[in-house]
This record gives sequence, structure tokens and C-alpha cells, in this order.
Amino acid sequence: MTAAIPAPTPRWPRGLFSLALLLLAWELAARALAGAYVLAAPSDVILHIAQNAGLLGRALRETLANAAAGFVAGNLAAICLAAGALTWPRAAPVIAGLALLVFCLPLVATGPILRVLYGPGAGPQVTLAALAVYYTTFVPLMVGLRAAPASWFDLVRSYGRGRVAELVHVRTRASLPYLFAGLQIAAPAAFLGAMVGEFTGAERGMGVLTIRAMRTLDVTAIWSLAVIAAAVSILAYAAVGRLATALLTDRPPVILSPPVTPAHTGWRPLADAVVVLLVAVAAWWGAMEAFGLNAFFAKRPDDLWQALYMAPDAAQTRATLTAALRETSIYLLPGYAAGLALGASLAVALTLAPALRPGATALAVTLRSVPIVTTAPLLVLLLGRGAVGTIALVATMVFFPTFVACIHGLRQAPGQVLDVFDSYAAGPVARLWHVKVPAMLPAFFAAARMSVPASVLAVTVVEWLATGRGIGSLMALSASLSDYDMLWSAVVVISLLSVLGHAAVGLAERRVLSVFAAEQVAV
Amino acid sequence: MTYRTLSRRTLLATGTAGIAAAAMPPLRARAQTPVGLQLSWLHSVQFAGSYIAQDRGWWREAGLDVSLAQGGPNAPVEPPVVSGTALVGISAADYTAAAIEQGAPFRILAVAMQKNPFVVASLPANPVNEPADLMGKKIGMALANMPVLQALCTLNGVDIDQIEVVPTQYSAQPLVAGEVDCLLCWETDLPVAMAIQGIESLTMLMADHGYAVHSQTYIATDDSLANRRAELVALLSGEVRGWEAYRADTDAAAALTLAMFPDAGLDIEIQKLQATRQVPLMFSDLTDANGFGWWTDETVAANIETLALLGRTVTPDLWDRSILEEVHGS
Repeated sequence: MTAAIPAPTPRWPRGLFSLALLLLAWELAARALAGAYVLAAPSDVILHIAQNAGLLGRALRETLANAAAGFVAGNLAAICLAAGALTWPRAAPVIAGLALLVFCLPLVATGPILRVLYGPGAGPQVTLAALAVYYTTFVPLMVGLRAAPASWFDLVRSYGRGRVAELVHVRTRASLPYLFAGLQIAAPAAFLGAMVGEFTGAERGMGVLTIRAMRTLDVTAIWSLAVIAAAVSILAYAAVGRLATALLTDRPPVILSPPVTPAHTGWRPLADAVVVLLVAVAAWWGAMEAFGLNAFFAKRPDDLWQALYMAPDAAQTRATLTAALRETSIYLLPGYAAGLALGASLAVALTLAPALRPGATALAVTLRSVPIVTTAPLLVLLLGRGAVGTIALVATMVFFPTFVACIHGLRQAPGQVLDVFDSYAAGPVARLWHVKVPAMLPAFFAAARMSVPASVLAVTVVEWLATGRGIGSLMALSASLSDYDMLWSAVVVISLLSVLGHAAVGLAERRVLSVFAAEQVAV
Repeated sequence: MTYRTLSRRTLLATGTAGIAAAAMPPLRARAQTPVGLQLSWLHSVQFAGSYIAQDRGWWREAGLDVSLAQGGPNAPVEPPVVSGTALVGISAADYTAAAIEQGAPFRILAVAMQKNPFVVASLPANPVNEPADLMGKKIGMALANMPVLQALCTLNGVDIDQIEVVPTQYSAQPLVAGEVDCLLCWETDLPVAMAIQGIESLTMLMADHGYAVHSQTYIATDDSLANRRAELVALLSGEVRGWEAYRADTDAAAALTLAMFPDAGLDIEIQKLQATRQVPLMFSDLTDANGFGWWTDETVAANIETLALLGRTVTPDLWDRSILEEVHGS
């Protein structure tokens, strides 16, 4: 059998029992930490939600509507981008590069621009929710659109049909498991994006209430909001999961692809990079001019050139940036690695111990849907503001896409191969190691690529919240002092950092996948 | 109603606003000029004077259709004012000075908080009553506020190296949990939150120790000051009347704030306490003598000195009192 659909009946009583146990542990922990004002007990949370049902209900309706709109817009954008990249493969690296760069834009830079563009209303929240999801759908989708046996493409070609027919008849079907992985990652991310989007001056919603509760030390309100955000995200995650199991009834095929030697000429990736860079600069410049954004806060490339190389204090500006970059890079690699390892190992562990899956998944979704401002004080209290606490915070913010992608990847183990293992009565570990983990590799590398910009952004948020150093802190400081030259320079630096990291992961990916999943490399 | 308790000066201001409105073409006055006022933070009693002006229709009478845009963690005041989305923004002298260094053409038109609201908050068991008490203590603050602490130390001859700075979120939690000994925060937010939670705290107002930085200042661009004077006068006279009414009954101001923003998650007790605690920061002998929002050459000179300690070089012409003078009819 496949790992996809375990019979649901025996799981419920056990699920309820673990839920009760979890609530009890939470209640006891909250009582023990009462003096620290970091965690509210579930009993208080339930009471608070009951007493403020009207207020919370209105806030939830607002945020949920924005999140839903952002979810739809972001995922549609991802689907269009991926379809475009596959029908016109020459443009694929450029599309992927631009998608990455847009995902790198931090809220501290985009917030004021979106608010000025949209004025009052829900525009910025919806846009930020869409920005929070499109990339994590785009990347797995690109993997999925390639995850088809070569013989299927041969069939299409034997009928004399081209790339569009390939896309419609073969790739779309093959991509569905990966699309659903993307949609599941997107569900909590859209909600969080809409909530954080409210930090840009929205009138109402769950994010507004969260800021308020943080200021007034209302721990019960903070955790009530967190519980609602988590509950909504878990429901959305489960609904997408249900849809996936209902639609994906076929067993994953054996993908036999002719091995490829990574034989691209040395010049092509470089040329692609130059094109991406030129298009990005042109789009950045053009968009700011087209919308008539004031150069005081919407810095153009030439403003940055001035500030970094021409201005009298240019050397000092560069020195400040370099120093901040150095501080950031200390935590970046450990945080990235920790998030990736946590996500992948949790996914693998849960295939060996499926009983734990509902609880662990719920916890994972929770960590992804609750703003880090809520959970950070608890983590800081437990782990401190040093290296351990910082890396743990980053890992918390980035592990979820890896976890979901790997769960779906593990399910791509071909049915016939598992049948062979069954007939030899191979144990679960052997099946995992020889079949499921290799099948997971494309999804894992997709996750590894998505996690690069995610972890860069996460480090900057943690720096702003907990350590007060590095690029994140520099961006917050620059925004408060209207030093938008410095802010946009920092945005460029973290974008370049993400691009470099992405390229490094891409190199490793080509090496590994040319052995294990050649169809991903041969475009 | 509180209207009767208004000062002569404010009534004069109303007259001015009336004249300003009358001076505009009647069609336009009836059509109501849309005007944005960008607040510096989420809706709360911190801006209740504006809510009163809005609620009682004082701006509408003057031909203005004012939209109050709230701020937030990622909603700085300066961009909408520079772009013209907002005619006036609520800022502070230090932020405005920084923005001007970056090329923003801002002027300060009025000063709502005569005394800067920054305090060092501590718990009675381990109090900070004066700047010298900071030595040997752990202070929780955003590192962005280092210049503020530095200025306080310089003004009071305290060695900043003797203070341990812990970068924290803007919340009273690290103080209550014992992670730090004191916090750099506003008189009107975190200490109020602690009081409502039943935690007694002490505050040392930095303005009482030489830290002179005008806060909650009304800023507009040079261009608006030259070309949209009538609207500025009408907007500010509504503000002046609103804040006088606020002072007369802060509880009513708190109640109005809750009534106007039912979805903001405001707590009436917190709002009432915050409303009373900001009165001494906003009103002084100076404003009693000259009217809300006033400043003198002396207070500006003190600001310039403190701003210099914060690394900001400004000249007195950052402040432009012409609109306020028109409002107060002096």
C-alpha cells in the first residue's frame, strides 16, 4: 500500500487522547510560567474567546477574507508563472530568478510603498498574503511539472504535438501532488501574510489586535489570537489535504528517465543571471516610475549607486552594510541548516511513526501560522537571546515548507517498486531508505531552494526582534530614520545573498538529481 | 457640554476657521476638500483630540473631509506625507530631523506633546529614579533607540558603558519576567499596561532630566505650507479645539475612542488611564498662556541642543508657527 491514505477510523480516539494530553501539558506549563507573561493557559484562552466572540469574529472575518483573496491570487500567479516557464523553457531561468527576487523583498520596505499605492483598505494585506504564498507554490510546481516518465513525453511527440500539449496532457497531471504540497504550504502562510500585512496601518483584523495585545501585556488575548490563527490554518491545511487524497487516487508512477550528464556550457547560466539582473533592474526602475512613487522612500537603482559609490559618505555606508552583513551571515547558515534538517527529519520520522502524524502536523502548522512576535518571547525565555535561541527562532520560521514538501515527496515512492519490497517482506526502514527517500529528493531540493530566501528573511526578522544586530536591525533602524537609501541597499544585499544561496543549492541539486531524478535536470 | 468650557482663544480659532471656510468658493466648501491626517500609531486615545474634532463635525463645518489614517509597526508617517496622500502627519522632532537630512521638505506646524513621553520604567523593588541609577542595570529597549539613551547619559554625566543594553521587543514582558531591570518606553503605553495588569511600576520621565525633544508634532511639506494654507489652518484649528475638549473630560475622550473604533480591541480602563497620563505631557503653563501646540524660541533652542546630542543638526526654521498663529489668532 502507499503511505497516502491510512484508514481513518482507529486514529480518532487516539487523536482525541493526545489532544487532551497536549491541553493538559499546556495548561500546566502556562500555570508554571504565569509570572513571566509569555504563555496563557488554554482554559483562560477559551474563556477569553467566549467573552470576546464578537470582536474576534469580526477580526477573523476581515483577516480570513484578505488571506483567501491573497491565497487565490498568489497561487494563480504561481501556476501562470510555472506554466509560462514550461511552455517557453528558454525563459524558465529568468522567470525563476525574478520570482526569487520578488520573494526577497522584506515587509519593512514593501509596507510603506503598498500603503501609499493602495491608500486605506485591504490592498496591502491581500498583496502581502499573495507574496507570502506564490513562491512556495511555484517552486514545487516546477518540480512536479517535470516529474513524468520520459515515455509519456515520447508518446505526445509521436503524435506530432508540441510543448503545450505536453503541458496539458502530461505535465499537469504529473504536477498535481506537488501542487497540493504547495497549496498546503500556502494555507497557513496566506493567513500569516494577511495578519502581518495589517502591520502597515490596517484598520482592523487579527494582526491589529495582536499588536494591541502585545503592547498591553494581555497574554490571554495574544494566545487567543494565536489559537484562532492556528485553528483556521489547520482547518485549511486539512481541507487541502482531503482534496489531495480525494483527487490523487493513482499510485505514483515509476519515473524512468535517461540519465543526463550536466553538460550545459559554462556560459548559459551566466548569461541567464545577467538577463535576470537586467530585467530586475528595469522592472524595479520602471515600476517605481510608472506608479510615480516619490524618490524619498522609493529608491531607484541610480539613487543607490549614488549613495553607495558617489556620495561623500559612501564609504561609510558600505562599511555599515558590510558589518551588518557579517553579523547576519553568522546565524544564516546554521539557521537555514537547522530549519531544513528539522523539516526533513520530522517528515521522515513521521512515516516511521504515523501515529504521531496528526499531532506533529498540527504543531507544525501552528508554528507557521502564528506571528513570530507571539511565540518569540516564549522561545527567548526558554532558549535565551544567544546563538541557540536565535537559530531556534530561524528554524521555527523556515522548517514548515520543508516538512510539507518532504511529506508529499515521500508519498511519491512508486507503487510498483514498493510492491517488490513487499514481496520480499522488507521492513519499514529498508523501504524508507531505498525507495521513499530517493523519491523524496526532488521535493527536498525544492524545499531547500524555497528555504534560502525564507531563512534570509527569517534571520532579519529575528535580528529585529531578539538580537538587535545585523541587516534586520539595520533595516528597522533605517526605516525609522527615513534612511531609505540604506534600507534599499540592505534589500539589494539580502536579495543577492538569496540569489547566491539559491545558486549554490541549485548546483548541489543538479549533482544529486542527475543520478536520482534525471527528469528534473534535463530541460 | 464641554463646548462651553472652551477658552476665548479657541473660540477665536473657530472664528478663523469659519472665515477660512467662508473664503473658499462655496461649491468647493460644500463639496468638502478631502484631507488626510496620518497618525503615528494604531488608533487609541493618543489621538483622541482628532476624534473629538471629527465626531463633533468641526472639520466638516470648515469644509474639510478629514480621513484619519492609522499607523502601525510597518507604516511610517513620512512616506504618505511626502507623497501627498496625507496633508499632515503626526511625527516627532527627532524623526522629522532625520527625514529632513534625507531630503524631505518638512516643517513642524504644532507640538502636541510639549514634554517628550520617553521614560525609563522600572519596578519598585529595583527602582530607577534618576539617570545615575541606570548604572549597573540591564535596560531592555530597541537598539534603534541607542542614541536616545546616549543623549540621556551625556546630559546627566552617566557612563553609558556601565549600562547593559538588552535588545527586546517593545513590550513590558521582559521587565515583568525579570529578564531586564528597566525598560525604555513611553509614559503612556507600557507602564499603563502594567498598571492595568496590577503590576506597580515607576517611571522616570526623561524630559525631567534634560531630554527636550518635541513629540507628537504636526508636520507638513513646504509645498503644502505654501499652497494649502487654508486647509492647514482649518485642520489644525479642529485639532486645537479637539484637544481642549479632550482636556476638559478625558474619560469622555476615552469613551469616544472606543465608540469610534469598536474593532480596534481597545480596553476602556487602559484608555482612561492613558488619557489622564498624557495630559501633563501635552499641556503646560506655556500652552495655558498661548494655546495648544505652542512653542517658543527657548523650547526650540533646547530641542536643537538635544537633537545635536542625537546626531541631528537642525536650525530653528524647522519649526514654522505661522499656521498655529493664524489658528490662535495672535
